[in-house]
Amino acid sequence: MGKRKAWSPILQAGLAIGAMGIVLLPVFLCQTPWPTAARDYLVQHGQDESGAINLVSAIYLGYRAFDTLGETIVLLVAVIGTMGLLSRVESLVNPIGDDDNSIQTVSAFSLRGEKRSSHVLRTHLLEVVTGKIGPIVLLFGFYVMLYGHLSPGGGFQGGVIIASGIVFLALGNQQDNTSVLSKSSILGGIESVSFLLFIVVAISGIFFGKGFFGNPLADSAYPVGFIVLMNSIIGLKVGASIGFMCIAMMGGHD
Amino acid sequence: MVERALLLCLLLLGFWGVVAKKNIIKKIFGLNILNAAAVMLFILEGNRIGTEAPILESDLALVVDPIPQALMLTAIVIGVCVTALALALAVHLYQITGSFDIDTIRERVKDAT
Repeated sequence: MGKRKAWSPILQAGLAIGAMGIVLLPVFLCQTPWPTAARDYLVQHGQDESGAINLVSAIYLGYRAFDTLGETIVLLVAVIGTMGLLSRVESLVNPIGDDDNSIQTVSAFSLRGEKRSSHVLRTHLLEVVTGKIGPIVLLFGFYVMLYGHLSPGGGFQGGVIIASGIVFLALGNQQDNTSVLSKSSILGGIESVSFLLFIVVAISGIFFGKGFFGNPLADSAYPVGFIVLMNSIIGLKVGASIGFMCIAMMGGHD
Repeated sequence: MVERALLLCLLLLGFWGVVAKKNIIKKIFGLNILNAAAVMLFILEGNRIGTEAPILESDLALVVDPIPQALMLTAIVIGVCVTALALALAVHLYQITGSFDIDTIRERVKDAT
């Protein structure tokens, strides 16, 4: 019985993986030709209809903008759930102890001033490098976000780069002068306002007779302005929410 | 064909992490690997009909299919959301039971009730 107990989980896991492999083998190895109709249509009409040279931007902000709406809602729900769980954890942890060198405290990275220099996980190298590189990463994130219709990039990618810039700024304050961007109230405000703006911009197409998520600038000289605006809003939203979650996981929200 | 077999191996590796590992953090990252394998399979499928990036700077006829790329853009962000939420749940469980191991967690929850 004892021996059987030892290898039966391995057998179960092996059987499950084998079954999964057999089910997925045809999916991975099928060689049916990929349809080219959608690609050909987008290459011929995509730039005229949306104004964006980058076809991926044209799809996720033009043809399939509902996907983006659902995705931003999922992001919002994830942020709300993470913050709800982590803030309860904070209130459980903080009364227990304030030991500098214990790695297991959730607040490991949010130590104040004088305690920080003696902490095992924080070195001066981290502070010097992240403090210098943070603003540059933020600038690069805004570039990727604003040029998403012309070059590889867009709202999501730029937003993630902005989020890493925010994390760098939150890590890299040498004295007690913390960046405004690492405060949870500011980041939460940016996220809520950008979600509101996203909905407003999505509805604005209705007043120009284009329908929900229609491009109100479609008949003007610069139809691409709609995609640039949506890209910036989504970039701000993704950057604020992912930065918010990262900072909360480092224990830095107050 | 080699890359497809490798992707299947990667997906099964992630599935093995979810099924067989006892540590919750390892399970979550197994889920992450599964997500990455699915994303890469979609990108690979879209790449079959072309060689150039879907950016119409000049008249390129052989661009790849941009639709899987646009869909996977969304899937990646949702994968990040799922990972963050699952990690927050794991931290919460650790604060309550003091362990990341699922068997220990089950015992301690049973003891507590």
